[in-house]
Amino acid sequence: MPDCRPNPGLTRRNFLLHSGFGIGAVAFAPLVGNPGWDASCLQDPGLFPGVLGFPNHTPRVKRVIFLSMAGGPSHLESFDFKPKLAEMDGQPMPASFTDGQPIAQLQGKQLNVLGPQLSFQRHGESGLEISDAFPWTAKLADKICVLKGMHTEQINHDPAHTFMNTGVAISGRPSMGSWVNYALGSESSDLPGFVVMTSVGGRDPQPVNSRQWNNGFLPSRFQGVPFQSQGDPVHYVKSPAGITAERQRETLDAIAALNQIRDRELQDPELTARIAQYEMAFRMQTSVPELADFSNESQEVLDMYGTQGADGSYAANCLMARRLAERGVRFIHLYHRGWDHHDGLQKFTNICAGLTDRPTWALVTDLERLGLLEDTLVVWGGEFGRTPMSQSPGDSPGRDHHMRGFSMWLAGGGIRGGMTHGATDELGYHAVENVTHVHDLHATMLHLLGIDHTKLTIRAKGRDFRLTDVSGEVIHPILA
Amino acid sequence: MATSPLFCLWITTLTLASNLAAQGTPLPQNPAFEEPTFNRDIRPILADKCFACHGPDGGARKGKLRLDRREDALADRGGYAAILPGDLEESELVYRIQAHPEDRMPPSDWRKSLSQKEIETLISWVSVGAKYEEHWSLVPPVRPDLGQHIASAVDTLLNRKLQAQGLTPAPQADRATLLRRLSFDLIGLPPTPAELKIFVADQKDGAWERQVDRLLASPHFGERMAMGWLDLVRYADTVGYHGDQTHNVSPYRDWVIYAFNENMPFDEFTRMQLAGDILEGAGDDGLIASCYNRLLQSSHEGGVQLKEYAAIYSADRVRNFGSVWLGLTVGCAQCHDHKFDPIEQRDFYQIAAFFADIDDRGHLRKDSGRNTNPTPREPEVDVLSPLDRQEVLRLETMLAELPEGESAERSFLESRKAAIQPRRVMVSNSTTPREVRVLNRGDWMDESGEVVEPAVLSALKQLQTSETRASREDLANWLMEPDQPLTARVFVNRLWRQFFGRGLSRILDNLGSQGAWPDHPELLDWLAVEFRESGWDNKHMVRLIVTSEAYQRSSTPTAKSLELDPDNIHFGRQNRWRLEAELIRDQALAVSGLLVSRIGGTSGLPYQPVGYYEHLNFPKRKYKAANGEQQYRRGVYTHWQRTFLHPAMLAFDAPTREECSAERPISNTPAAALALLNDPSFVEAARAFAQRALLEGGTTDFARLEWIMKNALGRTADKKECSLLKNLLAEHRRQYQNDPQGVEALLAVGDFEHDPLLKPDEIAAWTSVTRTVLNLHESISRL
Repeated sequence: MPDCRPNPGLTRRNFLLHSGFGIGAVAFAPLVGNPGWDASCLQDPGLFPGVLGFPNHTPRVKRVIFLSMAGGPSHLESFDFKPKLAEMDGQPMPASFTDGQPIAQLQGKQLNVLGPQLSFQRHGESGLEISDAFPWTAKLADKICVLKGMHTEQINHDPAHTFMNTGVAISGRPSMGSWVNYALGSESSDLPGFVVMTSVGGRDPQPVNSRQWNNGFLPSRFQGVPFQSQGDPVHYVKSPAGITAERQRETLDAIAALNQIRDRELQDPELTARIAQYEMAFRMQTSVPELADFSNESQEVLDMYGTQGADGSYAANCLMARRLAERGVRFIHLYHRGWDHHDGLQKFTNICAGLTDRPTWALVTDLERLGLLEDTLVVWGGEFGRTPMSQSPGDSPGRDHHMRGFSMWLAGGGIRGGMTHGATDELGYHAVENVTHVHDLHATMLHLLGIDHTKLTIRAKGRDFRLTDVSGEVIHPILA
Repeated sequence: MATSPLFCLWITTLTLASNLAAQGTPLPQNPAFEEPTFNRDIRPILADKCFACHGPDGGARKGKLRLDRREDALADRGGYAAILPGDLEESELVYRIQAHPEDRMPPSDWRKSLSQKEIETLISWVSVGAKYEEHWSLVPPVRPDLGQHIASAVDTLLNRKLQAQGLTPAPQADRATLLRRLSFDLIGLPPTPAELKIFVADQKDGAWERQVDRLLASPHFGERMAMGWLDLVRYADTVGYHGDQTHNVSPYRDWVIYAFNENMPFDEFTRMQLAGDILEGAGDDGLIASCYNRLLQSSHEGGVQLKEYAAIYSADRVRNFGSVWLGLTVGCAQCHDHKFDPIEQRDFYQIAAFFADIDDRGHLRKDSGRNTNPTPREPEVDVLSPLDRQEVLRLETMLAELPEGESAERSFLESRKAAIQPRRVMVSNSTTPREVRVLNRGDWMDESGEVVEPAVLSALKQLQTSETRASREDLANWLMEPDQPLTARVFVNRLWRQFFGRGLSRILDNLGSQGAWPDHPELLDWLAVEFRESGWDNKHMVRLIVTSEAYQRSSTPTAKSLELDPDNIHFGRQNRWRLEAELIRDQALAVSGLLVSRIGGTSGLPYQPVGYYEHLNFPKRKYKAANGEQQYRRGVYTHWQRTFLHPAMLAFDAPTREECSAERPISNTPAAALALLNDPSFVEAARAFAQRALLEGGTTDFARLEWIMKNALGRTADKKECSLLKNLLAEHRRQYQNDPQGVEALLAVGDFEHDPLLKPDEIAAWTSVTRTVLNLHESISRL
């Protein structure tokens, strides 16, 4: 059994020079030689095993499915019911809540309380309060753990996403999917370890930038690969027109043979790696289209999710997420864009929930049916929450961006279902009880994956960086 | 104090060493026996393991102990001291680093610990006197004395070390490899067979220098040099945040290319960018260059806090300035004193104050009505770029030489001239400076911090202050002062990397204490002094480096060189690496004849996968690939969409340019393989290359194969290669003869229209050959 891990003597700087997602071949360029790696790893286009030392405790889950409700769903219309808001509907927001606080689009405007725009019921044995927009999620009441005391540091979409994904608002840091793949490696030899899918529907969708799945200063093999809903699912995965699979194969064979001839003279370990990458590319040309072909799914399953095919809808992406989970993909990140409800809060929450609620339920239920939920962590939530104050007064008010308190939920391996953790104040403004910072969420996610978040570091620009920067606490009370 | 077993062991070793030395026995080549020097051996350990709590950051300091300055480390702490030079028994540090867990440093619950070797090195250092040195990069470089009359300082300094290490330098590479290497390094394009022929036939003295001078004079030199500079200053076509709309910047790129082509001295190049708007007589070019100050990411997102974004932009400028010119992570001092380098938090805001006069009204707005594409970001001006002006002059000269009267040529030139119109560019505009405060913990809402004025890093020589507030021009001049230790080193270190694949100090973006002790400090300093004393002459430095023997060595390792110097630290051979993203594109376009070699202009829009911008909004947009000339521009001109950079560029590691990028990683991924195999730009290039082979490559299969290899790789194919390619050709010729639809489909990839006189199935079959060659490892390697 060859040791394909970098040895401790391999500097992280050297390590930065290799890459190639989902593959064990290592590239040392422009360095020659492969210190610390068994040469046979270069020949074997197998799996990247992760960096030495991880996991550093027994993992509870193997993978993460992160369901980003991009735009920021209102906690006050989903999981955080505030009767006091109804009482104060239309009255001025007490200044004690808002003084000195950053305000987004409501800057300089009259701040009035907006009562809940949807009604809530208690569900399941646990009696979780969930709004009527989410009847399917309500069926999961005893499986999910709602974090009601979340807060973040960014009040606008782009930086808040960046913060949620990388732990910092400055561009250029690795996103969590990259970190996880870096630490743990891949379990799939013909798919990338970090896949991103997006869908749209609801209020005018906010952009989501590729920064959100960037590898930052981790090797580029750990970059998230976006699956497109238009054209080829993965860029350039289809052979050019007029090039049949047979011709592509013959071309690849010729490339490999010519490379090998040349290697006798050049003796370049990069070249061996290159041949392996071309083979992986060729396998992806088959595995990716196969992945997007739902014809082997039963009608029952298709109906459960509410999809007919990989059409870029949230429902299709949820089914795709399950297919990716089955194939060993480590980090699956879905974005549904449409949750930015500055106005028409009630209408748009119903539209967004209408598109996402049932598929989310189907995903969790399907994972459980297949025995995958026990080693998967499912995370649901936006990049921030929404203000208790009203925006766009009139017939269809909305709420502004809000970072001091919001809700997310977790389900799957290692998570205690049917509980809430943390709370906001009586108006849902500040997280006041068991306050959970984004770094805490990251620390907990890594913990479940068997990673001590303080130990997962990489050196760049002369210092060690972490996903959790210099803080983050594992939220132990929610762990089963 | 208890003496640990380790300590005894160490004493024994040291005694043994001194005994050996006393007897005149040469010391073994073991670093443990060498007297440690602070910068090379000690600072890296202290910086990594101790400075977090005992370093420059006063806010994080524990036990009031500071180890980064000798006077503090030696200070009396009430009857004892952390370090008593030469006294191991009485030095608390020596005890603590070996103590039992409860007393041990670093504390056992901290994530870092000292290795055995590090402990020994520290002890050894204390025993010989605990000498401190100022961090190497903060001491002005001094030109090492090389004795009289040397041909090449580069070779003299490198060869000394090679000899000392018992390494034999690799022989000179063959001429074909050499010219290909030089062409990619200087102009970013492969040599044509004709150029190669001239060089190979040139047996007179100075043949190499003639090639160097030819390429330095090429207008493509500026394009090649600009690539790295645009990475540093994070030049991109779009604003980066939120809607990521296009902003107006392309004249700045022209100016950078022009400046490198004209060999503008680096001090002027610097002044123009930092302060071109306020420099006397800098004119339009000064304004264009001052676009540098506007290249940061900006946002008009609806909920932006203007004060917050003023702080974000300010910090962005300090980070970039610090990385580009100082090679220091000044950005680390935004929230606290720097943990490792002598940069106080105050320094960060004082540098920010230099840029506080920049009119940011165009960036600091949240007006969704302006979320157009392109988006206005005033102040902007409409100008002819210097390259445009050169082109107008050229056309006017040609027109003047034409015979009087109407002619097709005249009207062609006239129309070209008429097409050159002023372009819009964001510029700097100096206004009343914004108030800059030290932000406690970097918090923009905290207004209790001290108000600061512009000033340079407190650890370095201060600006000669006059009565007036220091300006960006003063800052630029300060960078170029003779005793400024960083500017020249930072630049030549990166320049060296362009020609050797690795810096003389390996970490290009940090010459601070967490960077890398240079492998070749003397050479780095020699080059730095030479750069400054030559009048900041960039082409002079390039010539100096590429005319060295070291540059011309073969990059093929031998078993022995791999064993003795696996990482090639001593440059006994050349390094080799995969070409940069832009150059992979350029090569395909060049050999296929599709390349539009015009210099400068607006950004090119190559084919791009459909729906790639589907995640963008404000406004929603569809990418439209260019028809005609703008389709076939060099990679350096590619439209740089920060949030969705062209996937083929990303696949070959081009940075998104959200932040300063001093060194691109070099990856080897399936994504890159897929791009090179299947991206329509590369397929189209293969098609056009095949057609060229049929038209220009002779009449036999063999001659055409040779022609293809010569054009793509600068060499002929050997027998085996020939037979492999011939087999592929025969097989695909057979297949395509029976697959007219396949032929038609393939020949429709890309806009290029094939010659109707050629047989389509022949072009298709030859396209398999050219596509194979363009995908070879060697094709995308610089050897």
